[in-house]
Amino acid sequence: MSAEKMTAPSINPINPGSLAPVKSIVLGNGIPVHIIEGGTEDVMRIEFILRAGTVMENIPLQASSTNMMLTEGSEKYSSEEIKALLDGYGVFYQLSAERDSAGLIIYLLNRHAEKAIELIAEILFNSMFPEKEFVIMMKKRLRRFMISREKVQTLASEKFFETIFGNNHPYGKMVSENDFEALNTDHLKNFYASYYTPANLSVIVSGKINENIQEIMDKYLGSKLPGTPLQAGNESDFQKCPQKRIHVPKKGALQSAIRIGSATINKRHPDYPGLKVLNTILGGYFGSRLMKNIREEKGYTYGIRSVAASLNLSGYKIISAEVDNQSVREAIAEIYREISKLQKEPVAYDELELVRNYMAGEMVRMFDGPFSMAESFRAIWEFNLEADYYRKLAHTVRTITPDELLHLANKYYNIDELYEIVAG
Amino acid sequence: MIDFVKFSLRNGLRILVHEDRSTPLSALNLLYGVGSRDEDPEMTGIAHLLEHLMFCGTENVPVFDRPLQMAGGENNAFTNNDITNYYLTVPADNIETGFWLESDRMNGINFSRDALDVQKKVVIEEFKQRYLNQPYGDSQLLLRPLAYTTHHYKWPTIGKSISHIESIEPEHARDFFYRHYAPGNAILTVSGNISPDRVFKLADKWFGPLEKRTTRPQVIPAEPFQTEERNLIVERDVPVDALYKAWHICGRKEDDFFTFDLLSDLLAGGESGRLHSKLVRDKNLFSDINAYISSDIDPGLLVIHGKLMKGVTITEAEENVRMVVDELKSGIISDEEMEKVKNRFESSHVISNTSILNKAMNISYYELLGNPGLINLEVERYRAVSREMVRDAAIKYLNNNNSSTLHYLSKNRN
Repeated sequence: MSAEKMTAPSINPINPGSLAPVKSIVLGNGIPVHIIEGGTEDVMRIEFILRAGTVMENIPLQASSTNMMLTEGSEKYSSEEIKALLDGYGVFYQLSAERDSAGLIIYLLNRHAEKAIELIAEILFNSMFPEKEFVIMMKKRLRRFMISREKVQTLASEKFFETIFGNNHPYGKMVSENDFEALNTDHLKNFYASYYTPANLSVIVSGKINENIQEIMDKYLGSKLPGTPLQAGNESDFQKCPQKRIHVPKKGALQSAIRIGSATINKRHPDYPGLKVLNTILGGYFGSRLMKNIREEKGYTYGIRSVAASLNLSGYKIISAEVDNQSVREAIAEIYREISKLQKEPVAYDELELVRNYMAGEMVRMFDGPFSMAESFRAIWEFNLEADYYRKLAHTVRTITPDELLHLANKYYNIDELYEIVAG
Repeated sequence: MIDFVKFSLRNGLRILVHEDRSTPLSALNLLYGVGSRDEDPEMTGIAHLLEHLMFCGTENVPVFDRPLQMAGGENNAFTNNDITNYYLTVPADNIETGFWLESDRMNGINFSRDALDVQKKVVIEEFKQRYLNQPYGDSQLLLRPLAYTTHHYKWPTIGKSISHIESIEPEHARDFFYRHYAPGNAILTVSGNISPDRVFKLADKWFGPLEKRTTRPQVIPAEPFQTEERNLIVERDVPVDALYKAWHICGRKEDDFFTFDLLSDLLAGGESGRLHSKLVRDKNLFSDINAYISSDIDPGLLVIHGKLMKGVTITEAEENVRMVVDELKSGIISDEEMEKVKNRFESSHVISNTSILNKAMNISYYELLGNPGLINLEVERYRAVSREMVRDAAIKYLNNNNSSTLHYLSKNRN
């Protein structure tokens, strides 16, 4: 028998699975710790989350610089010692400051858990912000900033967020070269004192959990004074830019970066799961309409994608691609054509079936193993949503109708309200 | 311990299975022993372009991704100097779709001009996006031909130039495919929620009927021993000067490989690495500096690259890098430092092997190197590296006459 003659295997229905039960405990000083057990190796992932994102800052770079300085010196240890200890225990760590939150994630072998957690507690609550390290860090950051200004991707994305959220809101504020000069260690110390407190910290632990994890956490994190509860962040309103189409010039660029989208609903809105399905059809997977049209039929780009994302105060949708300079207008016209098709023609049964299965498969991957599970848990936890969110998402994926998608496309993809940024 | 079983089909396909019942998924990894090293120097980029064509459908499966997405799966591929690697994950009870798709495209693909023309455009945009329209993006296009005069590692996987990609015709793609793609030049690894017995049955059903095809690999000329240091200076429209320095090291199968991996971590593993602590933190000469080994099967490179701080001259930067490298030749490395790089390796090894897809990729790759059991011996081999071995490797390889240096300067320096 030759391979050509064989018929395709049948496909079994896909069970998207669900979030594993999360065990939540509270340390002596009130720090909540969420525990997700699983996996085969003696490894843990621990995420420390503080409501200390850019939304809380008074001046640009304050949140990210405070976060980056955590490993640069504490009461007990110098910058050099902190890094030697973290690396010495084989801890992989990643500091991050996003819009709504900041903190760090560590991956470690269980046998190093106690020492690593002791050190993390030290840097989270006893950081010193030494002047010398601060100056070096800001110089490094300025160099990186200058390099990033050479990328059309960065130029387009920054302008996009500025236009949809406004330059007055931390979600949309663009950083400029002067901001690096203006920042000093007092700004960081003040920010740290306000937001890096046990009262403002949550922890998510996942993996093959060390049996005395609670004891260790209590000893090093739970013994700190809780501090004052969370202060309100920046309450300024979003100010959308009146101009819808903006070109950011970049001399000598060989490709242009396109960003098209707008602010929209976030995860807390009942339409959100449906918007996710719509977004997937448009540009959320390799077989999406945008990929098929703009990459696989026309070859204008290496990749194009569409994302619907959630922030605490808003959501946004964004279509992004880097395209050949000569094809920018055609690519943009095709993007709008695909959007208006979604608004006029109901999605065909076959295509919808494909997207239902693809998304169910994505959900299986979201719940595969303790680390993915921890990320999926965080993604609802930070919006104060329950595991029910995923049941609703799975239900929507399974049952949404072409008519409902048509309705959503008209409600959320009004072309006149979309912003169009081109850098290049 | 990562358990696996291995068997082969009569057409030469090797199959390895690692069962892991803790996941609802299965991963399927199909490695072909062909990479950009196997290209004609006058038609580089074809191995990677062919990887793109492998997703353009066949007679039986007009749209490759569709059946897999229908089965809830996801897939991708990469090409490097030595291999082309295709991989997918899918809910375990739909794994058969993966066998069907991979065996179907191993049998033959669509070499139509239309498909090829679109993928050439896509790859050219990829070339621009990654190498030409990024600050410092072309450094790889410059450093390789400086370090290699002869061996095919002298061009990057994407290809030497856009004109090479433009010149590829359907018959070239077809010829390259039949020259290198065959059951006997492939290694299939399946991991996850599946038994070896079921994998054997599925492999036999789908790959068994494929003909044994003879591949025609070419002999790749060895890189001659370098005897003189090489330098290249370029000016580009970038905001900051950058330094790139490369030394020839041993091949992937030699014992020194593990030593070099640890050596690169001593230099640049984390922010406690020597380059960062001495040249970024203490002396403030670089804003970023990194070191890596290329991990190619034939003798590869150790590369150090960094971006200079304002006011630092490239000569001063380079001298300081050389000093840090030369210090390795003294063999003065504390116990803590040796222990640190070994702990870091062990952590990354264990963390990487929490994923069934990584395990499948690693098993395939070790099989290609000649022994899949290496996956379980790695930590031990790294643990066995001594400071004397680091010293000896540094003395043997990290000399000026074995180095290539690229000064990547800013046109409007500041």
